[in-house]
Amino acid sequence: MSQGIPQRPQTQRQALPQHALERIQRSRNAQGQRFFTSDLSVKEFLLVRESGFECAGLVMGSSFYHVGYQRSDWSQNQELTVLTQAMYQARELAMARMEEEAHELGSDGVIGVRLHVNRHSWGEDLIEFVAIGTAVYARDGSSWRAPNGMPFTSDLSGQDFWMLLKSGYRPVSLVMGNCVYHVAHQSLRGWFKTVGQNQEMPNFTQALYDARELAMERLQYEAQLDGASGVVGTQIHESTHGWDAHVIEFFAIGTSVLPIPQREAPPAPVLVMTVNE
Amino acid sequence: MSGLEASHPFTSELTIDELLLLEDVGFEPLELLLGASYFHIGYQTSSFSQNQELLDMSQMMLLARQTAMAEIRAQAQALGADGVVGMRLEIEREGHHAEFAALGTAVRRRAGDGTKYRDRHGRPFTCDLSGADFWGLLRGGFRPLALVHGVCVYHVAHQSLRGWFSSIGNNCEMPAFTQALYDARELAISRAQHEAQSAGASGGIVGLELREGNHGWHSHVLELVAVGTAVSALTEPEHEQHTAARAVLSMRDA
Repeated sequence: MSQGIPQRPQTQRQALPQHALERIQRSRNAQGQRFFTSDLSVKEFLLVRESGFECAGLVMGSSFYHVGYQRSDWSQNQELTVLTQAMYQARELAMARMEEEAHELGSDGVIGVRLHVNRHSWGEDLIEFVAIGTAVYARDGSSWRAPNGMPFTSDLSGQDFWMLLKSGYRPVSLVMGNCVYHVAHQSLRGWFKTVGQNQEMPNFTQALYDARELAMERLQYEAQLDGASGVVGTQIHESTHGWDAHVIEFFAIGTSVLPIPQREAPPAPVLVMTVNE
Repeated sequence: MSGLEASHPFTSELTIDELLLLEDVGFEPLELLLGASYFHIGYQTSSFSQNQELLDMSQMMLLARQTAMAEIRAQAQALGADGVVGMRLEIEREGHHAEFAALGTAVRRRAGDGTKYRDRHGRPFTCDLSGADFWGLLRGGFRPLALVHGVCVYHVAHQSLRGWFSSIGNNCEMPAFTQALYDARELAISRAQHEAQSAGASGGIVGLELREGNHGWHSHVLELVAVGTAVSALTEPEHEQHTAARAVLSMRDA
């Protein structure tokens, strides 16, 4: 394992604000029936029901974070660990709060999780992270929670969730890895040498290669910690978040999965030719 | 009112696919409706250093939306429609004045009794569903009831100078800001939920969308809006339940 991996805060339980608790309590009506709120589309909602799950409610977590400062060497490729940690911790806090809401709702897991990064004009170094998803529970009362006893989390859509279950896997947790990297500036001499030439820029290649690998490696490490057997739907996002142009964050996110012990054979896909343009 | 003559041509925003799907579940479009309200969205003073909801503003922003929607609902009722699909709301701002415009297509049950699709006061349902989503919902054993809104206008406290100094150069969470936005969002969602429950929805809300806006106010004042369609289970589904979903590979290039 490489150094500087942001340690996953050992599922530190988060306290929820008062309004969140009140809303969760009101998701059952006077007769004790459930009443859900969900950002799933109608198609997703129907597929979730068809997979044997019901929507429990919209769950959310947020964290407003002050990102610290780190000096970067103008001419050096290097990871900015202070920034990496900040971006990671803030996301983890938002996710942990969302998980806690799902736990309070008594759900088995959360699907369709989206992570937003917001900036407001209140301060340059302030970033807000929001995690939103729909909590679901199994209709037959079976438990689908992750091995650590908390609800599973996943960024899969309703359609993907249905497909994943059909193919014999279940989601475990949303895993992520990130790396904020400073890409070295080219020296004047280096610039002169390349003017008008076709050639690779080994410095830049290596910097971006490195940063991506680090983010992926951390994502994989998280999945292993969770006892998952693989990660699906991994995406790598790249953003400078308004920093200096040479500072880039690579952010990898995916859903870790485990095989379902007694699984049926996955259905054979039907070939369809669409007439729509 | 008896509604439109059979020969009257309809107007709608629906695509051909949506039209066919509406027809398939026994509905026909009647007319494209427009409702508008015009409000002065002024400013309420707020304490510089306090996280607080601007209650008057929240109520006003909700009332403006409800006025535009109520107008559509009244027009639909006058037409003899059973509901409105594809409803959406647009806000156009000029200085401190804003126009809230609502748009939607009134639909009616073609044959038989459409009244069971209306709400318990006999008013037409409203929803922001497309024709395809409407079709899917009915086939899935649910019906739309009302487009619901939850609104919260919130003033986020300014950070004290001491707080600012202690955070320079450090990684740390800003609990006051976190709490403010967290609170505002939870309030907006729970109000949408409350509106749906008091409209008599027995199922839940689908397709909820959370929007954030600052309508030309001070930068520390934010509006959080939760919009979604409240649904109820159909007591006696008259459409066949949709067949089991199947995995499909499209021949089309991505």
